[in-house]
Amino acid sequence: MIRAITFFAALALLSGAALAHHGWGSYDAGKPVTVAGPIVTSKFENPHATITVRGTDKVWTVTLAPTSRMSSRGATEKVVAVGNNVSAYGYPSTVEKDEMRAERITVDGKTYELR
Amino acid sequence: MTDQAPAIFIALEGSSFAAAIRQSLWLYPAANVGHIIALVFFAGSVAVMDVRLLGGLAATAPGRVIGRARWFAIGALAGMAMTGFLLFAAEASHVSLNPVFQLKLALIGAGLVNVGLYEFGAKREVEGLPPGAIMPARARIVGAVSLLVWIAVAACGRSIAYF
Repeated sequence: MIRAITFFAALALLSGAALAHHGWGSYDAGKPVTVAGPIVTSKFENPHATITVRGTDKVWTVTLAPTSRMSSRGATEKVVAVGNNVSAYGYPSTVEKDEMRAERITVDGKTYELR
Repeated sequence: MTDQAPAIFIALEGSSFAAAIRQSLWLYPAANVGHIIALVFFAGSVAVMDVRLLGGLAATAPGRVIGRARWFAIGALAGMAMTGFLLFAAEASHVSLNPVFQLKLALIGAGLVNVGLYEFGAKREVEGLPPGAIMPARARIVGAVSLLVWIAVAACGRSIAYF
């Protein structure tokens, strides 16, 4: 019995560790893109802030980071406000059309790391 | 927000209540942490009950151990439901369509049905048993099903972000 409980506990811990990191599996890290242009809409909200950006070809939805991390890295609500020009480097979604998650963004010559 | 979700979940996500959760710097992460803390107590108390039903912790009287652990489980489940509702409300339209979330709800339903099976079935055979007694087959089945179902619920919960 004790052996069985130990087994289950170990299994639970291992699977927990494997899953504990938010995997971002539905983004293609092999095809990084840079989207640059004015911010059309901005939501400074949890679980992730999101902006839409009018790029050269289309309007992208850019998924940023949780608001607490955004703030602590200096990428405040004002930095990602509508109308600001942004350059976002990140990975396109394999699920949602015209969506990408940003690894870092640059506004006014200042780069903010989001991971 | 997706308009493919049932109207009630679109309304929930669009409510000022849900907006307040998203716009607060700390509320969403606090609900996330609270959900895990409640999970720790829930998983712990459920494991004690299930292990006892399966014949472990044999030096204790099963009825007494389960009776005490049950109150921890009920309190923790209420905590999980409250924090879980906050996390759900913030993104209700997308999450309601998430297949793993739907599976998780179905499994929670199955887990609660299993509780009912114990309460109205095996409980009578278990309550009066002394420490060290052989556990009845029905009690062992309920314990095994409970352990598997709640582990699956936890795995689904952790997997929602990946689907």
